[in-house]
Amino acid sequence: MSGGIQRRDFLRVVGASGAGATMFGCSTENVEKLIPYVVPPEEITPGVATWYASVCGECPAGCGIWVRTREGRAVKIEGNPEHPVSGGALCARGHSSLQGLYNPDRLTGPMMREGDGFAPVSWEDAEAQLVERLGAAGGNVLLVTGSDGGALGHLFDRFAEVTGGTRVEYEALSEAPLRAAARIAFGRDVVPAYDFEAARFVLSFGADFLETWLSPTAYGRGFARTSAIDPMGSKGRFVFVAPRLSLTGQNADEWFPIRAGSEASVALAMAAVIAGDGADAGPYADLLAGFDLDAAANAAGLSTEEIADLARRFVAEGPGLALGPGVSGQHRGSTGANLAVLVLNHVAGNIGRSVHLALPDQAAASPSYASLESAIGSMRAGEVSVALVHGANPAYSLPPAAGFAEAFGAVPFKVSFASALDETARLADLVLPDTHPLESWGDSHPRPGVHALRQPVMRPVPLFDARATGDVLLSAANTLGQDLGAGDFQGYVRARWQEMGLAGGDDFDGFWREALRRGVVLSETGEEEDAAALLAPDPAVGFDVPSLDGDEDGLALVVYPSSRFGDGRQANRSWMQELPDPVSKITWHSWLEVHPATAERHGLREGDVVRVSSPHGQVELPVWPYAGVREDVAAVAMGGGHTGYGRFADGNGVNPMALLPAESEEPSGGMVHLATRVAVEATGEWRKLASIHGSGHTQEDRNIAPAVALADVGQAEDEHDEHALYELQEVGGFVSVPADGEPGDFPLPGARHGEYDPETTPRWAMAIDLDKCTGCSACVTACQAENNVPVVGEQELLMGRDIQWMRIENYFETVDASHVGPVDVRFTPMLCQHCGNAPCEPVCPVFAAYHTPDGLNAQVYNRCVGTRYCANNCPYKVRVFNWYEYSDVPEPLNWQYNPDVTVRGEGVMEKCTFCVQRIRDAENHAVLEGRTVPDGEVVTACQQSCPAEAIVFGNIRDPNSRVAQITASERSYRVLDDLINTQPAVTYQRKVTFHEPAAAGH
Amino acid sequence: MATATEAPRGAVAHPDVGSYQQVNEDVLKILGRPGRGWWILFGLASLGLAVFAGSWANQIINGIGLSGLNSPIGWGAYITTFVFWVGIAHSGTLISAILFLFRAPWRQAVYRLAEAMTVFAVMTAGLFPLIHVGRVWHAYWLIPYPNSRFLWPNFKSPLVWDVFAVTTYFTVSAVFFYLGTIPDLAAARDQARGLRKKFYSVVSLGWRGTDSEWHHFGKAYIFLAALATPLVLSVHSVVSWDFAMGIVPGWHATIFAPYFVAGAIFSGVAMVITLAVPMRKFFGLEAYLTNKHFDALAKLCLLTSLIVLYAYLTEFFMAWYSGEPPERGVFWNRVFGPYWWATWTMLVCNGMVPILLWFKRVRRSIAALFVISIFVNIGMWFERFVIIVTSLSHEYEPFAWGMYRPSITEMGIVLGSFGWFCFWFLLFTRLLPPVAIAELKEVLPAPLRSRARKEAVR
Repeated sequence: MSGGIQRRDFLRVVGASGAGATMFGCSTENVEKLIPYVVPPEEITPGVATWYASVCGECPAGCGIWVRTREGRAVKIEGNPEHPVSGGALCARGHSSLQGLYNPDRLTGPMMREGDGFAPVSWEDAEAQLVERLGAAGGNVLLVTGSDGGALGHLFDRFAEVTGGTRVEYEALSEAPLRAAARIAFGRDVVPAYDFEAARFVLSFGADFLETWLSPTAYGRGFARTSAIDPMGSKGRFVFVAPRLSLTGQNADEWFPIRAGSEASVALAMAAVIAGDGADAGPYADLLAGFDLDAAANAAGLSTEEIADLARRFVAEGPGLALGPGVSGQHRGSTGANLAVLVLNHVAGNIGRSVHLALPDQAAASPSYASLESAIGSMRAGEVSVALVHGANPAYSLPPAAGFAEAFGAVPFKVSFASALDETARLADLVLPDTHPLESWGDSHPRPGVHALRQPVMRPVPLFDARATGDVLLSAANTLGQDLGAGDFQGYVRARWQEMGLAGGDDFDGFWREALRRGVVLSETGEEEDAAALLAPDPAVGFDVPSLDGDEDGLALVVYPSSRFGDGRQANRSWMQELPDPVSKITWHSWLEVHPATAERHGLREGDVVRVSSPHGQVELPVWPYAGVREDVAAVAMGGGHTGYGRFADGNGVNPMALLPAESEEPSGGMVHLATRVAVEATGEWRKLASIHGSGHTQEDRNIAPAVALADVGQAEDEHDEHALYELQEVGGFVSVPADGEPGDFPLPGARHGEYDPETTPRWAMAIDLDKCTGCSACVTACQAENNVPVVGEQELLMGRDIQWMRIENYFETVDASHVGPVDVRFTPMLCQHCGNAPCEPVCPVFAAYHTPDGLNAQVYNRCVGTRYCANNCPYKVRVFNWYEYSDVPEPLNWQYNPDVTVRGEGVMEKCTFCVQRIRDAENHAVLEGRTVPDGEVVTACQQSCPAEAIVFGNIRDPNSRVAQITASERSYRVLDDLINTQPAVTYQRKVTFHEPAAAGH
Repeated sequence: MATATEAPRGAVAHPDVGSYQQVNEDVLKILGRPGRGWWILFGLASLGLAVFAGSWANQIINGIGLSGLNSPIGWGAYITTFVFWVGIAHSGTLISAILFLFRAPWRQAVYRLAEAMTVFAVMTAGLFPLIHVGRVWHAYWLIPYPNSRFLWPNFKSPLVWDVFAVTTYFTVSAVFFYLGTIPDLAAARDQARGLRKKFYSVVSLGWRGTDSEWHHFGKAYIFLAALATPLVLSVHSVVSWDFAMGIVPGWHATIFAPYFVAGAIFSGVAMVITLAVPMRKFFGLEAYLTNKHFDALAKLCLLTSLIVLYAYLTEFFMAWYSGEPPERGVFWNRVFGPYWWATWTMLVCNGMVPILLWFKRVRRSIAALFVISIFVNIGMWFERFVIIVTSLSHEYEPFAWGMYRPSITEMGIVLGSFGWFCFWFLLFTRLLPPVAIAELKEVLPAPLRSRARKEAVR
């Protein structure tokens, strides 16, 4: 074992006081010394981790995070358990924030345009230039920023004010239609908050709330809690109504594959049925009474009975929760669609129960495309002298038809605050690289009553001479003679918090320190929103199925946000590029989803490169036939096809925005994504898809991911079966017989495991509840971050050399777009099973694979010669090999490496260790304190990250441990247990389905 | 094997060899100045050797990733070729040791050739595990040697057994080979001049051909033959356990040891034919390697082919009979999956083409035998490829199924290994008498006193 595993480090959430944070947090001066720690910094003990609370900056959801730093470097991000949004979990994109921090493509300093390229310039000159131009602009200043509901957003507004300019907020993934619908329905300018745990019947009209919609981590947790079977044997139902089965849809129990854009018809028809049964529809009573159910059903491609049945179940099995169409369903009538869903929620009595409309503490508008559209107009008209862009990349994320690049080019002086060049920054005249969110001050107010602080968790990466945009703007305003109330942005944030009056006492310094330590402050909220009354319908908002451009016989194009890249901003991260898409399991490149029947009609096989053309543009990409899209639909993910974003993003995949018109929806002003039909034609080329998937998404009659019908839970007929099998075995055995031994029986009688002492040593074990697992893949990236799992690249993946320690297997048991029916996709997180009878161990000639005295299946990298016999003999195929020196990554990506875990070299085998460094850490800690390790103290990285709380880890020999209790569930099984007597330490709990699962899948 | 009525049972006459002296002349002239043909072949072999060495060096520098291997297919062309060469090595000892003990006189003409082939084939095979591992610089960890870390290899691992099996086999077969050549080296010494004479003087260990020398030689030879005989069976059994000890469907079968031994002899005999035919032609050994010798080799080939075919069918039957989806899946995939071409190559080359050997006309046709032996060589390489690759590509976990295609580096090393083998073999044909002079004389009719010619006494 390497020294790293032995090293002690203590989980210590250290309060980063202002002084401490200044010392090691936010100094922008380069103080690199040859001999570090001549005067050791107070905050840092070598070998001991320091944790800082902050806020994730990857999407507007604002999850609270804890950042683990070692020797002054951020090495791991975890959810802040005290933060109500993240609840301790974190999504894959959140984990990848570290690769944004250590992005090797970050700018090394400010850049000034020089001809076609950029030349470095000093901060002093750059800021002087900025101030001079701003001063000369005479108020013709345009500020294009991302959505920031905190102090930074406030500063942008104030800055625009004092310079006499305008600020335009722009987010490619905008909830503007939802907010507009809430305004029209209830007169409240809010994005509703959804309480999944209060619902028993979730109905999503295409909202991909497990992937990108609003707050995926929080919703993932809430959804898993309501949809998984509870100890009483009851289970919430989830029905998905959309033309494409997203990852969220794959978690549904039923799928209504409706015609693209017909959500409003279905939602209103359901509302009409419920109202017809006597529910109060308020001002919509007339509209619903006269609603033509048959026409609506027809528009959606459903039968009236199906809609009526769904509506009645929605009420009867309630409380219900209906979720409006997501970004992929934003069409020319999406305000109407969102409104229809809110009306349905109202009629079903969900407002105030599972749908909350509390007004936020700080009013904020939803960024809409319409405002950027007019800004583009004024740029084109020459009305803008200085344009500043921060936190947005419209040159990439807008359809080319929007003409952003051309209009932006017409602005005489363009400033970008991008920390690494992106497509928009490449058009700028001056680039003033911002610090990464992990190096910055800030705050977020994601929900009413939730206030979180962002603080620098480390000194800005010294390779990159970045300056916080807040500081730059404050100093520019100052030079222009405007006092915005603080000298630097840290002071600005502090002043804002002082104004908000959250401290509740005189000791603001103490409150501030405590807020920084905890990362989040919860305040009282008024619950007045429950009285929200439905307003009279707005006649301007229609509910018809919108028109689509293009040929009638084309395929409706669904452009959906990628769960790996969002709108494309996480694309320059090798972790995200290499994370298999949760639906297709494809990495690195884009693909077109069409129904297998459609593919056959067009004569297309998997991997055929097709030209997809709409009236607005065309792209070429390979086909992946997917039964989870309607036959009249083609789907592409956003986020690919970058042209100037960095080494990991550029040239991978295509940008589907090229196919879309530049159009905003009335009245919300949101971008229209579902707008066109496309023609698909083969180019004659073929490419191998860089997928990690080896079979046709079927289990091939093996006991990998069995399911049990809800009606059969508690029936426990397994024992009966086993008895019959034993009898058969006695007469000579024509069938395989379940192996003896329970997960806790270790070592098995007759087995010898060296120094293992069954009396005193634990058997570490894991339980994974497949009824909770949503396949979101956060665990995969969490593991990658924790365990220094390398990235191999597209070429290696094409050869089948994926190296992630965890993979989420997805088996499509029932996925049928032809009619309404059950959905059954089985997600199985597959990792080293830490078998009691591990097949990998005896075949290793040099004991590199061996059983540790405490029952772990260990891999000694130093000892490995690389015969790969262990991987051949592993029935679970969870051993991965370093075919090359994969750990050589460009500086400073290697700064992220976890010092507690060996970085593996070329030619050695590796695999999941059950986070042995965390086990040892907890054990050492316990020894020092003279106690035993209590259950729950060892938390693996995957378990820690899981929003669905599907993973439980602990000592199975302790009958009171959670893992032992969960393993005792009748739903427990071990993968391939009936075929090979491996005695894994990982047990899975069967998925529970409402329908009777097919016999083939057990 | 009695074929000629005038010869005793089991003996193969050399009707065209008149005298002991002629044997010496015919064989030792091969050791003379090489012709242009030899140089061309030697050039080609050296080129192959260069490709082999270059590819391997490149792989060591840049990483084992230069192979086409992946997850789940961690073993591919290298292990295939390793087993192939180990298999080739088996017929040499079979012919020299087992047939010696069983007194099959037809072995005399071919055994030297077969033994040399054995030694060089093991030398080739032994390199492949080294080529295959991810960190060749640590490969010595598989050898049990006392060390300060108190670390021993894992004696449960079939790969450690392999180390013992292959090194033992190489040691014994090399010693056996060398021992058998000593009297012939002395014969070469007596004819050679200059530097060559010195070389042969040293390596022939001062052999004079006295009665006591022959006595000791005979004893040593028979003891070594007895020692080598079990190795023929054990070494390839151990190699087969590399697979059979794994739980991979398609590997985990009790039939593997006899199946592999039969396959090894099958491929080895085919390789002997492949090598003997051109040698006979180029070196004018028609009088020594007669149709009857080839006929005997062909019969051995036919027998082992039938055993191998039976093993194939047994495997398919057992897969079906097991009723287990992974087991059935692997064998279905073998025949009808993406690797169908490899499986059918194997079945045709090893199971169907050798059926022709039932016909005496085919067995007596040198050209036909040569062609068939090439088929068998190809088929036996593919047999190992099919066992290794198709099984690994289609294991328990459907999600983790994969495909493998050998890379340029692998092809360079696999083909280059033939260069390495031929390099040594061609040197052998020029440095050591490729036909056993002394033993050949044993089966020739004794010289008649009435003849006036002086007989060679050795």
